[in-house]
Amino acid sequence: MPVIEVQRQQLPILDSPNQGARFYNPDLPSSEPFVPGHRTCAGCGPAIQYRMTSKASGDNTILVGPTGCMYVANSSYLCTPYNVPWAHTQIGSAGSFTAGVAAAYEAMIRKGKWKGTFPNIICEAGDGSASDIGLASISGALYRNHDCLIICYDNEQYANTGIQASSRTPYGGMTTFSPPGPKVPEAKTLYPKDLARMMAAGHPHCYVATASVGYPIDLMNKVRKGLNHRGAAYLMVYTPCQKGFVYETPRSIDLGRLVVECGLYPIWEWNPEKRAYDYSFRPQSMRPVSDYLKLQGRFGHLHAEHIANLQKFANEQWRMMGVELPEALSQAADVKNQVNMAAAAEAEVVAQTL
Amino acid sequence: MATTAISTKKKTVRMNGCVASAQAAKYADVDVITAYPIRPYTATMMALAQMVANGELDAEYIVADSEHSQLSIAHGASSSGARVFTGSSGVGVQFAYELYSPISGSRMPVQMMIADRTLDPPGDFGSEHTDALSTRDMGWLMGWACDAQEAFDNHLMAYRIGEDPRVLLPQMVCQDGFFVSHITTDVELPDPGQVKEFLPPYKHPYPLDPRHPVSHGPQIMPEQGPPLQLERARAMEGSMTVIEQVHDEFAQIFGRKYDPWVEEFMTDGAEVVFFMQGGHAVTARFAIQHLRDEGVKVGLVRLRTIRPYPTDRVNKVLSKFKVVGVIETNMGLGSVSSGGSLYAEACAALYESPQHPLVISFMAGMGGEAIVLKEFYWMTKKMMEAQKRGKIEKRTHWVGFEE
Repeated sequence: MPVIEVQRQQLPILDSPNQGARFYNPDLPSSEPFVPGHRTCAGCGPAIQYRMTSKASGDNTILVGPTGCMYVANSSYLCTPYNVPWAHTQIGSAGSFTAGVAAAYEAMIRKGKWKGTFPNIICEAGDGSASDIGLASISGALYRNHDCLIICYDNEQYANTGIQASSRTPYGGMTTFSPPGPKVPEAKTLYPKDLARMMAAGHPHCYVATASVGYPIDLMNKVRKGLNHRGAAYLMVYTPCQKGFVYETPRSIDLGRLVVECGLYPIWEWNPEKRAYDYSFRPQSMRPVSDYLKLQGRFGHLHAEHIANLQKFANEQWRMMGVELPEALSQAADVKNQVNMAAAAEAEVVAQTL
Repeated sequence: MATTAISTKKKTVRMNGCVASAQAAKYADVDVITAYPIRPYTATMMALAQMVANGELDAEYIVADSEHSQLSIAHGASSSGARVFTGSSGVGVQFAYELYSPISGSRMPVQMMIADRTLDPPGDFGSEHTDALSTRDMGWLMGWACDAQEAFDNHLMAYRIGEDPRVLLPQMVCQDGFFVSHITTDVELPDPGQVKEFLPPYKHPYPLDPRHPVSHGPQIMPEQGPPLQLERARAMEGSMTVIEQVHDEFAQIFGRKYDPWVEEFMTDGAEVVFFMQGGHAVTARFAIQHLRDEGVKVGLVRLRTIRPYPTDRVNKVLSKFKVVGVIETNMGLGSVSSGGSLYAEACAALYESPQHPLVISFMAGMGGEAIVLKEFYWMTKKMMEAQKRGKIEKRTHWVGFEE
């Protein structure tokens, strides 16, 4: 039987001055694999991410959607927003279903049963799927190195089920499964699972990166690098959720930058060739975590000590990236320099939203 | 890697049920195989791994991280247009439970080989049909083989039936662990030309293909649910015609004629019959032959396809007898007979029969124990006593635990 060599796509990397924080780039493709008309909330971070990701990937793409917001709120029978093939799969099947699609195309192209260039196969898993129930399936797909990109759109909670804590929910984050109360004043007591690093450490042959909707060109370039990488790639993207985070709707992109500027969401790449982290991404400024926390109702209950704990956590992230810590941030980790969120004048607007 | 998938001509080779299943997958030229180890079906995947390593079969061989992943991989690959082969045993079948409805609901003709194994607790390698039977209402075509040759043939027929555009349903091709999966018998392997004639390449009408974008499995409103469920129910019901056609065509091409629904063995003039599935039927035939020699009017009706359930056929066949002894080989804890699950379905099929034979449920072959000849004799005695009395002693007998 004749064996046909599999042809693969190479997508160009976009020019990205200003850390890719610009919204407009003349080189962006005009295709829109993810079109309007879905039922996501106004300002939905995951949906913004979805549009950028699929735009970067183009039309020769297959999308896999494990259960999550990007399944439930996007897809309605007879009017789905996907201009490319898309399939729902179970919440625990993110990596495995995607692996099946990739394996099918490898075999079908090789055996002459499907003619064409190997498609971009992208899985859009929420953080519940990616960090909890589907973790093993994703690890399996990365380990076996199927030619696909698995994205964790990280809104730090199970959102479509009504805001429940996931392994990615930050310390102090209020959800319906981690409410604050007199016995547990900080709400979520655990720190988030370091998911992306776990994927890089455990699957060093894969391209692994973190990104944020606050830096759209950077995000799109990482999507393309992941797709261009021959084999499996993993991308974890910060995608704020207005409903769960409780913030003013137009501020999704602001939060996407602030979370990075506050050191709570380190942006990096794992280079599988060099087997090394690349920490060269630097936000334009560094800020105390309170600048980020005070915009969100989910942190409105935090006391001074909890904010100090989060600052300590952020400072550790900066150190891990080899960034020299400004004195102000070290001091912000001291509880004496913090006030309860309820007493912070800047948080008032959000308190009223709640 | 240039390979010739099939270079053999028709030949008879000695092999066990597991290897026969692997051979069937090879003859079907499957594109994606996904494996996860659990006894006893593992031997099928071992055989396939070797075929791929030898270059005898060009397929993606994926060692999954769990049975749940195995079935998800199969679902994804089948959705993309590939012919898929997977399998499992015992608790492995159940670990993947979530996927059975999504796969049949999305109408993907995934094929799964089952070599039965008793469910835990405690760990027991022996065969019991509860593993696959627990999924029987999930929209998968399902039936049991009683030997390696039948297993081989069932795999080819199941692909042909499941991939038929009038059906598009996944298939569970079952065989008893050990009694079929690990017992070596002669298997006639066909000429590749025969398989080519019988089984056309898989072509799903709506695969995940970037050139023809489709969405699979979007959210629906409650009122959109019933029509989709009705479609799936109709596909299952409509498969009955296709199943009969495919069995006829199989007989024409390969020369082996199976009744798609039930095998009747020495039922002429029989007054009491065993009604059962799977490998223990081989022992049953032997016991019946012996009893017939002694003048006992006993026969065997072996169910070959349980999904779709051949209700009318079962009614027609079983109505001919005075007593039906259902051999369960499965657990239906707290069910109608407080025994196994076959009893209730046999009784339901007989409900509209004017004859109403007496029905007894025998819990035999449990935990992977062989059903030995003297147990068949004992069960026959129970059926004859019921016939004489005109009444059953009780609904369920645990064979080996009573006098």
